Amino acid sequence: MEEILAVTDLKKIYGRGGAVTRALDGVSLSLEAGEFVGVMGPSGSGKTTLLNCVSTIDRPTSGSIIIDGRQLTGLKGKELAKFRRERLGFIFQDCNLLDTLTAGENIALALSITGAPAGQIPGRVREMAGLLGIENCLEKYPYEMSGGQQQRCAAARAMVTHPALVLADEPTGALDSKAARLLLNCLETLNRDLGATILMVTHDAFTASCCGRVVFLRDGQIFLELKRGGDDRRAFFQKIIRVVTEMGGEMADVL
Amino acid sequence: MFSKLAIRNVRRSFRDYGVYFLTLTFGVCLFYTFNAVKGQGAMAYLAQREHPAVAVIQILVDVFSVFVAVVLACLILYANRFLLRRRKRELGTYLLLGLSQGQVSRLLFLETGVIGLVSLGAGLALGVLASFGLSALTLSMFQIDLAGMLALNFSIQAAGKTLLSFGLIFLLVMVFSGVRVSRSRLIDLIYGQRKNEVLKVRSLTPAVIQLAAGILCLAAAYATLLTFGMAIAVAVLPICIPMLALGTVGTLLIFRSLSGFVMKLVQGRPSLYYKNLNLFTLRQWLSKVHTTYLAQTVVCILLLLAIGITASSVGLNNTIASQSSYQAPFDITVQNLSGEEELVDVDQVLGDAGFDTKEKLSWSYSTVFYYNDPEVTGFENASAALRVSDYDALRLRQGKPAYSGLLPHRADQLEEELTTGSLGLSYVLIPDEMAQKLSPCRQIWSADYAGDPEATEEELMDTIQSLDVSFASWITTRLNIYQDLMGSKMLALFLGLYLGFTFLLAAAAVLALQQLSQGADNAGRYALLRRLGAEETLVARSATQQVALAFLLPLLLALVHSVVGMKAANDLIATAGKVDSVSSSAVTALVLVVVYGGYFLATALACRRMAKSA
Repeated sequence: MEEILAVTDLKKIYGRGGAVTRALDGVSLSLEAGEFVGVMGPSGSGKTTLLNCVSTIDRPTSGSIIIDGRQLTGLKGKELAKFRRERLGFIFQDCNLLDTLTAGENIALALSITGAPAGQIPGRVREMAGLLGIENCLEKYPYEMSGGQQQRCAAARAMVTHPALVLADEPTGALDSKAARLLLNCLETLNRDLGATILMVTHDAFTASCCGRVVFLRDGQIFLELKRGGDDRRAFFQKIIRVVTEMGGEMADVL
Repeated sequence: MFSKLAIRNVRRSFRDYGVYFLTLTFGVCLFYTFNAVKGQGAMAYLAQREHPAVAVIQILVDVFSVFVAVVLACLILYANRFLLRRRKRELGTYLLLGLSQGQVSRLLFLETGVIGLVSLGAGLALGVLASFGLSALTLSMFQIDLAGMLALNFSIQAAGKTLLSFGLIFLLVMVFSGVRVSRSRLIDLIYGQRKNEVLKVRSLTPAVIQLAAGILCLAAAYATLLTFGMAIAVAVLPICIPMLALGTVGTLLIFRSLSGFVMKLVQGRPSLYYKNLNLFTLRQWLSKVHTTYLAQTVVCILLLLAIGITASSVGLNNTIASQSSYQAPFDITVQNLSGEEELVDVDQVLGDAGFDTKEKLSWSYSTVFYYNDPEVTGFENASAALRVSDYDALRLRQGKPAYSGLLPHRADQLEEELTTGSLGLSYVLIPDEMAQKLSPCRQIWSADYAGDPEATEEELMDTIQSLDVSFASWITTRLNIYQDLMGSKMLALFLGLYLGFTFLLAAAAVLALQQLSQGADNAGRYALLRRLGAEETLVARSATQQVALAFLLPLLLALVHSVVGMKAANDLIATAGKVDSVSSSAVTALVLVVVYGGYFLATALACRRMAKSA
């Protein structure tokens, strides 16, 4: 399988001299095309820093990140923006739809930014919306939609450009359980049917259980890796819960 | 400790304060400049001669200053309210840290004081320069050489008045912010950033209808103005009120519907709609329309007033100036109204009285007008007759060609420019020999000075007054005419510029503040665009485009309004003389560019910065 993401010995150090915080302390991680990987860990374990570094929003202190064969550390300004819009898709916790645009326009904007031919845009938007079950919402403003619909719209925006890697930061964080399940089903569909490679940060064991692999971070280092293998979702969920329990008080907040 | 915090706050939020500071400085500068006109340039020249216009201008400037101070006070209060809203969270934090509301009020009090002092200083410095510029402008408008009057000086009286007025305004602002802080609740301050903007889905079709209605309203208003002319359209209330109402409603409708119309238009062109961030920019514009269209209408009307007043006052000025050169072809004209009793050799009389006409005068000429006798000249309706050789001599002195037509000739169009001051006669041009059959009615003596006009004139007047003669029954000099004209010119110019600037300042500041507060609201949206991979330049361009739309649309419509208005006004002014509309338009454009452009630039830069740092 083709390797989409290769993170090698990634370090991110805040502060100087005596008062240093090692947010990431030598993390190595590899994602193959079509993988759905979850990252779990307590607050302060470095989940978000890892995601920020991979999403080119933050720069690591040392180590290398290679996405789809491109070394990120050498990229600057314009190249970064180009890389971000062409190769990456984002889903945030607070979905971050532009409130002045309709759902359809929010999805179309991602295509506009990549400079896709205008003639193709409406068709591609409708196709992606159909896949995520929000084709009825395209003319609505975000505030007229439910949280789940908004989040699926954000997922559609992330996927419509066919990125090499989709980065999701607590996508279910602000949703009720039903909407969360619906969104996760959508992500699984995207992963299975479109072969999307997804890296998702979460602290919810149930959300993590739909991934094919879960990486546990602690104090900026990889603590454990769980593979789903042939388990069904319920069994995988139990395994995750067990790890969380073993990690004990440190991860009490994940439940 | 508080003063240190206050100074640091001001320095830290200098960017936020930028437009506020600009408005204060411009306001102080404006106020000082016009209150200082008394001792400046051409005004000082008139004041030395105890010209009545000086007192009139002074009184009117005083009256207008009260009005301007009220406008500026409202503007500054508005700006201050905007600033306080932006700093809600910061103020909330102070309260949360345990500062009492009194202490926070005191902090704001000090901050206002610091800002006030700095802007007063800057405004006064700028005002000294501006009043120098205004002196240069007024002096350059007069043909008399007044270069000696131009000097950089500081009017303590005007500065004192400025200090007093703005001191009061700042005090008002301090009280106002104190009251606001003491009445606000902590929870509102802490969560003040979260603002639920209600976006309503509005169909775009009504926008097209509204735009059409707006254009119709404007067309009707324009037609009314142009048909009836400025004089009637403004003075007759049954015409004036519907016209103004139509114009205002039309403007309102256009601002309300234009964005929807453009949106609909662009949506039909996917290649434009989906290009770069056009989609985003258009939606932003559309979403803000319902909060901005009222302000834009007000701004458009203020701009119209500013353009109209400035252009008309400068235009009127040029009209008066062109009249003055036609009224005063010679330095002095003495009219002897009792010509039938005695004709005098004026040069001889003056020479006998000790005034050396050969040395002091570069040219002099004596003319006789005769009673018109219809039986001799063949013309009924003229009161006097003039020998063609006299006529030619007076014209020749002005560098104009001699008369070459048939004689005798009724001088309908020719009566101008034979004397300084009005002649008040209609006359027939006659061949010289015909004069022997007519009796003299009026003797006219004109002359040009050789040396310094003012000294010569003074000496000549003294000489004439010392003579007990009846021939000098009516004396008009070029200097007298200029001084009269200067008075009315400056009245029109000063008051026009004063009001024009004030309206312009108000319009620009209101727009700038509104755009800045929207720019702050947009910061999150820009951050998201960047995350989606939009290039820096595109995001910055979108921010600039939004500011440009807000600034340029009211200006554009105001320009259209004022072109129509100026057309009507010019017809009115033109009845009093010729209007040099090119130069008046140029001055207006320059003023607009400097003030409005300054605000546009400051706002666009600030919004770009907000987009960048988002």
